[in-house]
Amino acid sequence: MSVPAIALKDVHLSLGRGAARVHILKGISLDIAKGEAVGLIGPSGSGKSTLLMTMAGLERPDSGSVHIDGEDLGPLDEDGLARFRGARIGIVFQSFHLIPTMTALENVAVPLELAGAADPFGRAREELKLVGLGDRLDHYPAQLSGGEQQRVALARAVATDPAILVADEPTGNLDENTGQSIIDLMFRLKRERGATLVLVTHDPGLAALCDRQVRLRSGVIDTSRALEPAQ
Amino acid sequence: MTSKASSPAMPLMLRLAWRDLRGGLKGFRIFLACIALGVAAITGVGSVSDGLSDGLARESRTILGGDVSFSLIHRQLSDEERAFLQRYGRISTTGNLRAMARRADGRSSLVEAKAIDKTYPSLGQLVMEPALSQDQALAKDGDAFGVIADPALAATLDLKVGDRLFIGEQAFVLRALLRSEPDKLAGGVGFGPRVILSQDALQASGLVQPGSLVRWSNRVLMNGPRPDVPVDDIAVDQFVSAAEKAFPEAGWQIRGRSNVSPQFEKNLDRFTQFLTLVGLTALIVGGVGVASAVHAFIERKKPDLATLKSLGATGAYVFQLALVQVIMVALIGIIMGLAIGLSLPFILAGTLGSVIPFPFTPDIYPEQILAGLLYGLLTALAFSLLPIGRAHDVPVSGLFRDQVDGDQRRPRRRYLIFTALAAALLIGTVAFLATDQKLAAIYGGATLVAFMILRAVASGITALARRAPRPKSTEWRLALGNIHRPGALTSSVVLSLGLGLTLLVALSLIDGNIREQLNRGLPGRTPSFFFMDIQNSQVNEFESFLQDAAPDAKIERVPMMRGRVVRLNGTLASEVKASENAAWVLEGDRGITYSENLPDGSTLLDGEWWPQDYKGPPLVSMEAEVARGLGLKPGDQVTINVAGRNLTARIANLRAVNWRSLGINFVFVFSPNTFAGAPHSFLATAAFPNGSASERELLILKDIANRFPTITSLRVKDALDAISGAMDQLAFAIRGASGIALISSILVLAGALAAGQRGRIYDAVVLKTLGATRLRLLKAFVIEYALLGLATALFGLVAGGLAAWFVLIRVMKLETFSWLWGPALSAVGLALIVTVGLGLIGTWRVLGQKPASHLRSL
Repeated sequence: MSVPAIALKDVHLSLGRGAARVHILKGISLDIAKGEAVGLIGPSGSGKSTLLMTMAGLERPDSGSVHIDGEDLGPLDEDGLARFRGARIGIVFQSFHLIPTMTALENVAVPLELAGAADPFGRAREELKLVGLGDRLDHYPAQLSGGEQQRVALARAVATDPAILVADEPTGNLDENTGQSIIDLMFRLKRERGATLVLVTHDPGLAALCDRQVRLRSGVIDTSRALEPAQ
Repeated sequence: MTSKASSPAMPLMLRLAWRDLRGGLKGFRIFLACIALGVAAITGVGSVSDGLSDGLARESRTILGGDVSFSLIHRQLSDEERAFLQRYGRISTTGNLRAMARRADGRSSLVEAKAIDKTYPSLGQLVMEPALSQDQALAKDGDAFGVIADPALAATLDLKVGDRLFIGEQAFVLRALLRSEPDKLAGGVGFGPRVILSQDALQASGLVQPGSLVRWSNRVLMNGPRPDVPVDDIAVDQFVSAAEKAFPEAGWQIRGRSNVSPQFEKNLDRFTQFLTLVGLTALIVGGVGVASAVHAFIERKKPDLATLKSLGATGAYVFQLALVQVIMVALIGIIMGLAIGLSLPFILAGTLGSVIPFPFTPDIYPEQILAGLLYGLLTALAFSLLPIGRAHDVPVSGLFRDQVDGDQRRPRRRYLIFTALAAALLIGTVAFLATDQKLAAIYGGATLVAFMILRAVASGITALARRAPRPKSTEWRLALGNIHRPGALTSSVVLSLGLGLTLLVALSLIDGNIREQLNRGLPGRTPSFFFMDIQNSQVNEFESFLQDAAPDAKIERVPMMRGRVVRLNGTLASEVKASENAAWVLEGDRGITYSENLPDGSTLLDGEWWPQDYKGPPLVSMEAEVARGLGLKPGDQVTINVAGRNLTARIANLRAVNWRSLGINFVFVFSPNTFAGAPHSFLATAAFPNGSASERELLILKDIANRFPTITSLRVKDALDAISGAMDQLAFAIRGASGIALISSILVLAGALAAGQRGRIYDAVVLKTLGATRLRLLKAFVIEYALLGLATALFGLVAGGLAAWFVLIRVMKLETFSWLWGPALSAVGLALIVTVGLGLIGTWRVLGQKPASHLRSL
């Protein structure tokens, strides 16, 4: 069997300090294969987003190990994690988080520029064309609709050809039609690039599109329905 | 299709920073204004000062009237000296003295007379109105010589061209009004208007008597390689050395063209440095505004910085990115400040050029650009590195929770070190660029201490408000709560206003105390008049006349001559290491006297006074402070040149002198036998026990001018008025510079208040929803602002008072320090007006907010 894209082993994570400290992830072990699409589902406060952040190297577990694309994140320092993210992971946020003072083109070019890629603007232009925004290159986020902003965010997330794509409620701030088009686009991009996709969602329809659903409850994987097959 | 993407040729960091700033500088207005104001003040002061120095250097030959000037008092050049000087070039001689000019009806005025020869001026032009030749203007016609006078004299004595006047015993006709004289600056500041007459007229006036105080200035225009090419500096130095060697006992004061007005240059240097420090205070006060603006900027940018980190940027990278942006904004502020500061000399020359009494050449000085850049950049860095350091640890995880407030942990240690380095560099730059390192060090230390104290004061006020018992009044409770709650205005108000107020209080107290000391004098001891050039033959007649005219006056009379210190214990005066407060005694000539008894107002500190009929080797009594500054003690030798003769005397004793009495005080008092037979005049003073009325003084002045035309009378009130006038001009410049510091304070405060506005609106809306009336809210806000203003004012009073005391008593060595309520209360009033006023301007809008619209968006 080939190395999994994501391998978590007995991951524990607490947040907060002192009396406010909360044990959020309680011994999560999970393997996700290369090219697989996994939907993290579960009630609010179950630890979905925290698990996603742990996979993206944004939260460091108190114990346990996280291997992403074959690399152990444990020994990496903060700067190492940042570089790792820049090269291997693409992130899509619910609130898009585009930089408001940059045009669409510049927003997409940023990760390429940070990674020192050749011709970042040429590649960013291509990415924006692929998400159907070839005519919106010089628009600022405030001049774009919500759906268009999320397309820019998607283009930005895949611009560096990451091995892993993580998305946190990618359609949470969009209306149904727009949300559907974003879902189609995200899965198309995943397919075309052979990336692994992990997304957090409350939308059963979106979860159903994934190869597998992982249900979390109070910081543990709900084993009774842990490996739900795609419907 | 073209895109707006910034050029990829630019380094990535700059590209990202530029993209972000492209959208405008909103949020940086106070930052820009603070940096621009401070940089403008510093470069403006520096450029004007350089313009004056340069003007002086460029015109130095003209101002000096030649390449080298040999100035003598009491005597003219000997034939040998003249022959020697003539070998090197052409000599032009002027005789300068104070005298009385009077009208036939007795109205008189002190004048600074200058008697010129045919060669005057060797350089430049004498401009008069009407435009006559010098011969026409000064020639004798009938019994009267011609004279050229400053328009101020014409105004004082109500004279017009063609009118008669008298100087000494000679009649004159005012032939022309003086518009400009090329060598005016070399003469220093005078007490009266200038009159120019011929040397024949001076001799005829009876003013030149043995021992009279005529300064003969012999300017040598050296023979250059060609008539229109001046000699080089080496030739000038060689000439000076040769003259010193040939006539070691001449007692002349030699001044080369590179050293035209050392006193002026020294004063200009000191004043420039003082104003630069005041300007720097403006910049540092502005630094508080810089820190708040950068803090707000980082808070605003946290989501973007977190996004960049999610895309692969490291913590250090986002720190550097924010730093580049702050430096870019600082550079814009610096450029604005430089533009204002560098144009100041040109604006001054354009508007006031004709009334500036100095040669002034406005120019752009690269060193001022560099100084402005350094000060501006280092101030911006010292105040922004800590808030920028917080960008490093902006958590990306917050993006998932739509809340990137992050924790308010202290920035990493490296940013604390960077901040300390920037502050040290700033202080180092101040010290490096200062002419007086000690003053710069005191300033740097005082500013640092003031900042630490202000921080402590702010924390103290917060703690006090937190621990204060809960008042019954809701308004007081709200006000106290506002002072200590998170995000309170306390530290912004205290830091921004505190430094500005301290400076204002200190400067007002220093200015007020100096003026008070000048004007107060000592009743009954401070004289109303000085009378100079009283000849031996006139002494008795003059004294009995004065006693008749002012029977209640206390009259003092001493013999007086001028001499130059040549050697101390055999060491040349020029090689003596003198302390700053004693060096003046070695520069130029000093008034000296002799006395049988210890003079009134002096106290013997060390050694013995000589016996009444002392006949031994010459002895001298010295003022103790000066002696200490020159490293002298009883038993040491002082050699002084009087009228071309070197006299060596042993120091018999040291005296303490009360200079404040403004009476007759001398540093050197010799034993009478030292000057037996030497020609000299007398100096007298008249002091009224209970002061005197102006009309009476003017009447005495008029009678003396009529009766004793060769005696020069100086009314102390006129002299003090002249000094006070000069102080007014200096005070104006100082107030201008400190005004900039205060404007910076107010800007910073306004910025802080504006930044707190959102929280205020929230509070006001919630409180109104809960039933608070606008009046109650207004009361609470007024109490809060007034308490903060009052606390800051109290700090300003204490710190400013201490600073003023230190400067007056420790640096300026004044004997007493008076607490002046006027400036103190004005500072308190100003602080209250500024805090309550600015606070309420913003609050007025807050009070008007309708709750409903806000509650929907809260």
